[in-house]
Amino acid sequence: MATTACFIIVSRNDIPIYETELGSAAKREDAAQLHQFILHAALDVVQDLAWTTSAMFLKAIDRFNDLVVSVYVTAGHTRFMLLHDSRSDDGIKSFFQEVHELYIKTLLNPLYLPGSRITSSHFDTKVRGLGRKYL
Amino acid sequence: MDPASTPLGKLLLDEITPVVMVLSTPLVEEACLKNGLSLVEMLSPFCVFNNIDVPVRTASDQPYRIQKFKLRLFYASDIRHPNLEVAKERLKQVITRAGEKDDLYSEPPQTSNLLSSSESEIQPSWFEFFNKELVRTMSFSDHEAFDHPVACLLVVSSKDEQPINRFVDLFNTNKLPSLLNDGAMDPKILKHYLLVHDYQDSDQEKAAKILTDMRSTFGLHDCQLLCINSSDHEMVERQDNPWAPYKSGDSPSQRLGCFLNVDDYNEIKDLLQDLSSKHIIPYMEQKIRALNQEVSATRKGFRNQIKNLWWRKGKEDVADSPAGPMYTFSSIESQIRVLGDYAFMLRDYELALSNYRLISTDYKLDKAWKRYAGIQEMMGLTFFMLDQSRKEAEYCMENAFNTYLKIGSSGQQNATRCGLWWVEMLKARDQHKDAAVVYFRICDEEPLHSAVMLEQASYCYLLSKPPMLRKFGFHLVLSGDQYKKSDQIKHAIRTYRTAVSVFEGTTWGHIKDHVHFHIGEWYAILGMYELAVKHMLEVLACTHQSKTMQELFLKDFLETVQKTGKTFEVLKLQLPKLNISSLKVAFEDHRTYASPVAASVRECLWRSLEEDMIPSLPTARTNWLELQSKLVSKYRESNVCVVGEAVKVDIEFKNPLQIPISISSVSLLCDLSAISDELNSDALSSTVGPQNDDGSSNLTTNRDMSSENFSFSSSEVDFSLGGGETTLVQLMVTPKVEGILQISGVRWKLSGSVVGLHKFDSNMKKITKGRRKAKPPCDNLKFIVIKSLPKLEGSIHSLPEKAYAGDLRHLMLALRNPSEFTVQNLKMKISHPRFLNIGSHGNLKTEFPSCLEKKMASEQSGVHANSNNLSQTVFLFPKETLIQGEMPLLWPLWLRAAVPGHISLYISVYYEMGDISSVMRYRTLRMHYNLQVLPSLDVSFQVSPCPSRLQEFLVRMDVINRTSSESFHVHQLSAVGHQWEISLLQPVEAIFPSESLMAGQALTCFFRLKSCRKSLTSTDKVSTLSPLLGSDVSLRPEGSNEPLFDISCSPLADFHLCERLHQKMSHQGDPNAVDFILISQPLKDNITPGIADPPHLFSHHACHCSTSSTSPISWLVDGPRTLFHDFSTSLREINLKMVIYNSSEAVASICINTFDSTSTSGHLSEGTADLSTYPSGDQTGWHDASVVNNIKVTSDVHVGAQVGKSLSLESVPPFIWSGASSTRVQLEPMSATEIPLQICVFSPGIYDLSNYVLQWSLLSSDDSGNQEGKSQHSGTCQGYPYYLSVLQSA
Repeated sequence: MATTACFIIVSRNDIPIYETELGSAAKREDAAQLHQFILHAALDVVQDLAWTTSAMFLKAIDRFNDLVVSVYVTAGHTRFMLLHDSRSDDGIKSFFQEVHELYIKTLLNPLYLPGSRITSSHFDTKVRGLGRKYL
Repeated sequence: MDPASTPLGKLLLDEITPVVMVLSTPLVEEACLKNGLSLVEMLSPFCVFNNIDVPVRTASDQPYRIQKFKLRLFYASDIRHPNLEVAKERLKQVITRAGEKDDLYSEPPQTSNLLSSSESEIQPSWFEFFNKELVRTMSFSDHEAFDHPVACLLVVSSKDEQPINRFVDLFNTNKLPSLLNDGAMDPKILKHYLLVHDYQDSDQEKAAKILTDMRSTFGLHDCQLLCINSSDHEMVERQDNPWAPYKSGDSPSQRLGCFLNVDDYNEIKDLLQDLSSKHIIPYMEQKIRALNQEVSATRKGFRNQIKNLWWRKGKEDVADSPAGPMYTFSSIESQIRVLGDYAFMLRDYELALSNYRLISTDYKLDKAWKRYAGIQEMMGLTFFMLDQSRKEAEYCMENAFNTYLKIGSSGQQNATRCGLWWVEMLKARDQHKDAAVVYFRICDEEPLHSAVMLEQASYCYLLSKPPMLRKFGFHLVLSGDQYKKSDQIKHAIRTYRTAVSVFEGTTWGHIKDHVHFHIGEWYAILGMYELAVKHMLEVLACTHQSKTMQELFLKDFLETVQKTGKTFEVLKLQLPKLNISSLKVAFEDHRTYASPVAASVRECLWRSLEEDMIPSLPTARTNWLELQSKLVSKYRESNVCVVGEAVKVDIEFKNPLQIPISISSVSLLCDLSAISDELNSDALSSTVGPQNDDGSSNLTTNRDMSSENFSFSSSEVDFSLGGGETTLVQLMVTPKVEGILQISGVRWKLSGSVVGLHKFDSNMKKITKGRRKAKPPCDNLKFIVIKSLPKLEGSIHSLPEKAYAGDLRHLMLALRNPSEFTVQNLKMKISHPRFLNIGSHGNLKTEFPSCLEKKMASEQSGVHANSNNLSQTVFLFPKETLIQGEMPLLWPLWLRAAVPGHISLYISVYYEMGDISSVMRYRTLRMHYNLQVLPSLDVSFQVSPCPSRLQEFLVRMDVINRTSSESFHVHQLSAVGHQWEISLLQPVEAIFPSESLMAGQALTCFFRLKSCRKSLTSTDKVSTLSPLLGSDVSLRPEGSNEPLFDISCSPLADFHLCERLHQKMSHQGDPNAVDFILISQPLKDNITPGIADPPHLFSHHACHCSTSSTSPISWLVDGPRTLFHDFSTSLREINLKMVIYNSSEAVASICINTFDSTSTSGHLSEGTADLSTYPSGDQTGWHDASVVNNIKVTSDVHVGAQVGKSLSLESVPPFIWSGASSTRVQLEPMSATEIPLQICVFSPGIYDLSNYVLQWSLLSSDDSGNQEGKSQHSGTCQGYPYYLSVLQSA
């Protein structure tokens, strides 16, 4: 389990539609915005990299001090961004794949408007569970 | 691309150049200071040679020419490692000065502008200067040779005594820099002797003499004379002063070099050109060649390399100190380094590179990391200058950088310099993204340096292709934080301001909040509160933040606002949130409402209720506007309100935060433009409303609150919202003059300091109170104010919210007219007459329920049922009713909770203005009450005819108490209708042993009902509807003498009529149906003492209980039951009597057929049963109905249960019907007749006289022409068993 991890789903319009803090690190007041800043800035890198590969999992694409940003881009250009400080690529990949599955299930919900915020508590619980399992 | 023309190339050609150490006497400086310059400053401008054109031949035999050259002059005292603290201070000053120049009030740059402008425009110009200064702090390190002085310039003034000795003294080892003293470099350097002569002091001859001495002492070529300050009379004015760029400080540049005329100028120039081309460059060439030879001899070649390697291996045990082993100038390593640096300075990069490579491995093996890093750094730069192998150049730089960092804090500075060069290298190759990363890596603990580096990094991201705006913003924010840490708030704001433009409109909440909050905070520190408030407003509605953050934001915001000392008016303040879709406007034109609940009832309900009450004019809506037709034509679509009557606006406020906020002075923003002349309505004479609608400026300082204007008054509401709470607020505005009222928005005060405004956008406005259908929404908040009118206020006293079913109460309607004008012509309509009935004015003061008690017949006329209520749905108050002044009009109402459930009672009162001239002719008052009716007693009746008596019935009453706790006394049961008489079958005590009906208790009791009607006349028929006379039976125990209630009294009778109407059934016309009214009272014990509960009465009505079970014809055979006869003498004739009663409303034709044969009778019985059950079998006409036909048709249909009985009769000795076998009678409706029958008996026995049938058919009382429409009934009835015992008489 990573000590710090922040997971964000960014819609194709660069709007964060889901945010959660995973990990066991004690919460710092400024952590939330720092994480957002890092992930937001990493979008620039994703923008460049996403079109250079056909793989959805882009691996660690950016780093800030000891925090690493791993990104997974779905076919609809929704980006799953994970900020973490551990380096288990396999676990992160599995995490992303399972979250992708969850995300698709959410998309299949006729009441969910694609690109809007994911407020489902079920989704949240599942993602946290996956975080504990893989990260 | 020529590397030399890139910024880095220029920098290197500037910075890595031979250093000349200057040693001078104080008198020299004194002479120079007359020009405001030191000696070095005076000489420096002439050390740059752009076109020197010197041939150079280094190690190779091929000479080449150097065009540009530069010397760096330093005082000996400056040739040492610069003091870090001083350097830092200087850098800080540079930054602070740059910060002062910023204009923080100007508009921040827009992102699009940033992208379109070039690098030099974007970056602050002081970056370059800062970087240069930063690099300089690292000069004169002992691990690299290019800062080591190549030559020494000894300067003595002609005024000095014993100038020759002075020269010797100057090169005193004590004063020399440590570099020379501690053996890092060769103390035997090139010396050049210069004699400075000041023309203003003395003649040139003395100087010439000294020069000759010098030449004889130090050599001919190494001594020179410099004469300065030639222009002693006039100041030399120069347009572009060559010294200005070299002079730091603020002294006026015109003064610099003011005593130096053209001759001096040229002399200095010549001197330095001569020095570099004739002395320094040849010296360096020579040294390179010498060193190269030595290096070749000792290190080149296979044998030397092996030897070197072997020798180095032997030094394994060298201490791993960060600086590595000490190398003196004489060591071969230092000499190789010097060779490389000299070659670099003379631009023989190939030679430099080969030597750097040679020494690099040695240093690495020796673990002399600092020197190794220095070599790697130089290798990178050499690669760059050679413009080859970019990868290798970068690798070298990275290696150097990392190695510097590895050696700890002492290498940090060098790492910074290395990083800066590296960045420049990357920038020169347009690798801005990588450059930014390097900038980021340069950041050290020093926040100020980090801030500048981060800012530069951010600009690199901006310049990269494609621009990385998010990274740009992020690094700007990081840099701003560092600036803030080092107290450079202005810089911090500058960076954040740029970041704000980048992050504008972002949906990343934390980012937006962070940026806006901090920039606001910093503006507040600088005292620029208005800007601070502007930014802090952005973060107020931060729902995603934690509670503490929200508290912090709000606290800081309020503090800042307080510091401004002003009250801000903020358009679209986000705190609290306004739910525009909840906007509801309630106003009263001709429709007035008694309560807010009534106002929320749908308009169509009221309309259908008032349909036949209000005057039906072709344009009902505009009838009141006839007097103002002109006005109407203009504002046809506007709403109307009345002076002095409040317009209420409901709006929802929501607190998005988790912390409570207090809201005060919530009021409506209104405009009321008064109309001075009613007829000349186009001329809106003056606009007196407060003009609050300048929405152009986002922040406006408060004007005086003008809501308490003379033209209207508006209410102010204060409340506080807890975290996440939503409150519906009702705001009112009451116009005081006629005109046009426009509600434009709402304003409120947050925490007593900030005024929020919200304009109702005309497009998104949605008024849910659709009083007017199909209306453009933009005028919804516009009202025409008309002059004041009387308005009735009404209420119903003591109307309960809950009642048990059957509860009968006396209520009072009170109508009040507060205005001085009269109203007249009142009408009222009630939506549910079954529940609410209008009493008459007479029983206003009567006491309930005693008024209902049975009185003497003479008194009954007082409260008689006003049955006209029912047919006439609109109740007209008496014509003379006027309501005026203080006295309210009271009118009695009766409430009866008819059926369980939730009932909404709508009452509408129509009234007309007494004042004919008023604009509005009538108004309606609408009242609405909700009533919950709980189930109480369930009463059901079953009536079955009495078999033994004609016109008598047995009534079974089932009563169940459905309440959960109430107990009831059953008071009385009444059968409605004068023809009925009801009586108890059992004593009361037997029925109600406990005298009351407990909760949940069920009860069954039987009554005898007797119809005392003999015949039906036409007058009777009419009267059945109206007077509710009936017979009552008291169900109270014998002892109690409580009076019975009169069911023909007003409320009971009225409600009974309603019930009758309501409980209508299909066989409505059945005259034999009977209505029952059960009156009960709650047990007195249950009433809580102390509360004066009004007496209750419960009435349960069961209507149309049918008495006739099968046919309208009933009969009774009467005769002797037991007879004695001596059959030996004769047969016996027995006379019987049959009484037939026709209970239908039509003339009945009845045919009695008797049968003697039992078998036939058995068959017949089935047939008749069939027919009576299905009376629609063959009924074309009564005259066709012959017995034989009927038998034939139906005899074989069923094998009924009666067959057995019939068969058993066969054994009985027969008797015969004597007399007519078929008798036919016509029977008038509601009448009875008697038919004599006779049988003959031949032997004793028991006879069942049931073998006869009654065939009946009803003739309609109308003519036969209407026959098709009427249902014509006919049927056949099997006779009753009538047992007759005939015994043989003795």
